[in-house]
Amino acid sequence: MIGALDSLFLLALVAIPLSLLLATSRWGRWLLVAGYVIQFGLLVTMVSGSSPPSAVSFSLLGNDVGWQLDPLGWLFAMITVGAAGFAAAYASGEWGETHAAHGGSLRWLYGGLQINVLAMLLLLSSADFISLFIGWELTSWSGLILMLLAGGEAIRAALRYIVYAIAGGMAVFAAMLVTSAAVGSLQFDAVQAAVPSMSNGQLWAIALLFIAGFSVKMGTMPFHLWQAPAYAFSPGPASAFLGSISARMGMFAIALVAFRLIGVTQLDRLAIVPDWFDLRDLLAWIAVFTAILPTFVAMRQNDARLLLGWHGVGQGGYMLLGLVMADSLGSAGGLLHVFNHASYQAILLMAVFAVIHRTGTSDLNRLGGLVARMPLSFLAMLIGIIGLAGLPPMNGFVSKWMIYRALIIDGHPLLFVATVVSTLGTVLSVYKLLHNTFLGQLRLEHETVREAPWSMTVPMLLLCVVVFVTGVAPGLVLQYVAAAQQAIGLEPVAFILGGVEAGSGSLDMLWISAILFAGFGVGAVLFYLMGGRSRRVHQLDNYAGGHFLTADVQYQYSDNFYAGLMHRIKPWYRDTFAWTESALVSVLGIVSSAARGFFSQANPASWALVGTTVLMTWMMWHALA
Amino acid sequence: MTDVSLAVVLPLLGAFVLPLTRHGILRSLGPVIGPILLAACALILFAAWSAYDVPYAVALGSFAPPMGITFYIDDLALLFALAVPLTTLVLWPGESDPAATGRQSLTLLLAGSLTGLALSGDLFNVYVFYELAAVASYGLVVGDGRSPAYVAAFRYLMISALGSVVGLIGIAIIYFKTGTLNLADLSTLSGELADPQGLAAFAMLVIGFGVKAEAFPVNGWVPEVYGAVGKRVAALLAGLASKLAVLVIVRILILVFPHDETRQLLLVLGILGVAVGELAAWQARDIPRMLAWSSIGQLGVVFVAFSLPGKAGVIAGVTVAMHHLVVKSALFLLADRWDRAIESLKGAASTSRIGAALFVLFSLSLLGLPPLPGFWSKFLVLGGLAASASPLQLLAMGTILAGTVIEGAYLLRVVVTFYARPDAAVRVPGQRAGNLLGAGLFALVLLTAAVMINPLWQGLEVLAERAVDTNGYQHTVLGDREAGR
Repeated sequence: MIGALDSLFLLALVAIPLSLLLATSRWGRWLLVAGYVIQFGLLVTMVSGSSPPSAVSFSLLGNDVGWQLDPLGWLFAMITVGAAGFAAAYASGEWGETHAAHGGSLRWLYGGLQINVLAMLLLLSSADFISLFIGWELTSWSGLILMLLAGGEAIRAALRYIVYAIAGGMAVFAAMLVTSAAVGSLQFDAVQAAVPSMSNGQLWAIALLFIAGFSVKMGTMPFHLWQAPAYAFSPGPASAFLGSISARMGMFAIALVAFRLIGVTQLDRLAIVPDWFDLRDLLAWIAVFTAILPTFVAMRQNDARLLLGWHGVGQGGYMLLGLVMADSLGSAGGLLHVFNHASYQAILLMAVFAVIHRTGTSDLNRLGGLVARMPLSFLAMLIGIIGLAGLPPMNGFVSKWMIYRALIIDGHPLLFVATVVSTLGTVLSVYKLLHNTFLGQLRLEHETVREAPWSMTVPMLLLCVVVFVTGVAPGLVLQYVAAAQQAIGLEPVAFILGGVEAGSGSLDMLWISAILFAGFGVGAVLFYLMGGRSRRVHQLDNYAGGHFLTADVQYQYSDNFYAGLMHRIKPWYRDTFAWTESALVSVLGIVSSAARGFFSQANPASWALVGTTVLMTWMMWHALA
Repeated sequence: MTDVSLAVVLPLLGAFVLPLTRHGILRSLGPVIGPILLAACALILFAAWSAYDVPYAVALGSFAPPMGITFYIDDLALLFALAVPLTTLVLWPGESDPAATGRQSLTLLLAGSLTGLALSGDLFNVYVFYELAAVASYGLVVGDGRSPAYVAAFRYLMISALGSVVGLIGIAIIYFKTGTLNLADLSTLSGELADPQGLAAFAMLVIGFGVKAEAFPVNGWVPEVYGAVGKRVAALLAGLASKLAVLVIVRILILVFPHDETRQLLLVLGILGVAVGELAAWQARDIPRMLAWSSIGQLGVVFVAFSLPGKAGVIAGVTVAMHHLVVKSALFLLADRWDRAIESLKGAASTSRIGAALFVLFSLSLLGLPPLPGFWSKFLVLGGLAASASPLQLLAMGTILAGTVIEGAYLLRVVVTFYARPDAAVRVPGQRAGNLLGAGLFALVLLTAAVMINPLWQGLEVLAERAVDTNGYQHTVLGDREAGR
């Protein structure tokens, strides 16, 4: 009788060739969606947290390799399989057919999706560093499959991604080997036990290398440049999947290594300026800059997909910030934000791709007024941006509140202010997204646009329900977050169904939402009491300043949104990181040319002679010394 | 017990007999002589392997060591000796153009001398076989008769000639100091060779044998030669010949010069090789040169691996070397028809799905994607470096890791070009069935190794233990006689 974890692995593995075979037919795709539902169900059976280790374990080169799912991995695994299921459902109907008709490969979309899920499951249930590294590399490379699918502009972004990913992977590899040399074993338990006896230098090396390597996937600065284009230019459902959960594998790994294995007490040994600034402070500041700068880059974007991609980078900063606070409230906020972000990012990307499906464009300067044509997509995007901006009653508010509260309680006023600046940017930016797509003036060419098909709107709306329900009753998710916190050795958050209970002020979303809707209710009652008069007008019936306008005249412009703000802050956009990246590449090119020059000289034997002399002299000097 | 030396003699005999089959009644025999002889060698070596228990020495002509020629057979020697006929069979130049007989004859010569290199137990024999292999490879490089090949061959000749002279001087210094060329005997006298002249002699030997091993600074010939010659020949040189040259250097290092300084020399040359090779490959514009520079980089990793002291070094080095043998030979086979600028290969995957898929597999293994064997080879090398953690070794670790990132960039650039939409104007050639078969065989070996890591690991442990056991070596070859010098 094989255990649940092994059944899950087996199912995910078998589903890969099934995906490659069945993805081209509609019922095949529905079958694959059912496969994800079953995988989700299998995960649900493992919720108790004490799932047995996988029977797949072996010894390689003297190291034991095995897999076991703990509550932290379980939380991320649920999000992963859920995101994949929704993405698969989104592509199963009309979207998939249109994609195939335009020459896209559904086989590799579904196959790649399942490969990603399997790779992530392997990563999330690792029990030692070798299985962690295997999962890490497989995740990085399987993400590449999805990114390469779209072709064209996606290729450059994908190549940039994989170079970053390999670099990050090599940092993780180096960290793993240094750990193995210092501890003598690659098992998590052995490493955890050996950390207190490590020297500061060793611990610094291990911590920095691991965190740097994992941060590359997370998209934390300065490794953030690859993420937005790579995720944005993948095909719709793949983009939704990658954007919601893929980068968070880095967060999982940091939580695992920095908190479960090294632990907060040991981490605090790593001081940069003793008693004043240590590694966690550094990470907190990096996280907050990651939250601010990409958010303001997002504000500048005119492609809806890129805008959301940059927000994904920024929100990752929030998660990391919450986590490194390492207290019960902040780390719970950070982990909860992973779930929340996955839910609303998926909605937003799905809505954007629904608009692309119907109108053919994601350029925010060429859309507008689609609210009457695509009301369900509008509703989904509205709920999504309320979540992303972090406003009640959606779930984004809860996790952000917890992070703010933790920052204040832990005495980080500057970080708090910085986070608020980031939220300001988020709010402005997501409104631009909503307005430019759905509000404002409808363009003549979009008059006949219909709502997206059910196969696309149903997943979006289901996720909206999830966002709303987990916003009103966040305790539903917080119980699993608390279990995850316990698994990594942090104090679990004191949660209630409506939120958290903190001595200095609780959060109860049930009450807040009730009051919010009561307010709406009062407003609705007043409106209808006063006659409820409303009159339907045709959307293209335009009238301005005393004369009628024809529908093709553009009188409401939404490009160069926030012109005033942009005028003020434009000098601050210096593209420093992009410049640094291209400078590095140029330097590499110069050194590479020099290296090639060595091989194209006219008399190479002279180098051989010089080399011989040098080596001989060196050896003789060695022997004499 | 003289069976094993047949594996050296048969290909040499075949090389000399082959030209006779150009005319007359033996003409039909011509194409099959080579493969038959190589298969026979492989069988002989297999038989020796299955009968093998502990290392033993063979004194050719019954001249007792330290006089005369000795063959030393242990796990390491058998592994490399077996690799020679098998790889040569897969890479056999099977074309039937007029120059074929000459080419096949030279290939047999190369095979015989490389087997000899693997088995040799004295410096004189090593030098002779090395020169024989060099001469065979000059002929093979020129073989096509096209001008780029002539230029490349001349370049190769110049560097190789210089290297050989330097190597010979090194051997002469050793002989002058110790009066013997037998490796076991020299091993007992290794203390005498730890002075400036001895170490200088080692440096000269590294230069001498390093030409074939693509060591820095005598690897200036590599990109031009691999770019200009037929890719099967390039595969033989890059995949097979280079490993045997490394083996020779390693044997000398372990037996005769087991000092920190000499290991450091290998480490430094390895770091330089990795850096120069991977950096140069980054801007490669055509496939053969890219593979050539990548090969230099990988051999740098081999040098770094063998510079690790003790068993760990031998295990790591053999793993990396064998992995590179399989992968690089296969990649050169795939490059046979795709011997052109990378841009002009846009959409190659649609012309040859299997070829492109195999290219992806080998690239992933080179980059070290677990669970492919390339990952394990990197794991062993870098693990050994991390364990000792001297500044130079950390530099080596950083260089290899940075090299991997650069490797990823240029390999994936090629893969992406293969899978792009083909240009309507440019016709991309498909793969030849023979090359695909060969590459497929190598892929099979790679995947089998990926699955059988543990048994291979256990075998390698035994191999390494015996390889570093210098006392055992001396004992086996010289018998119970003490080193009386």
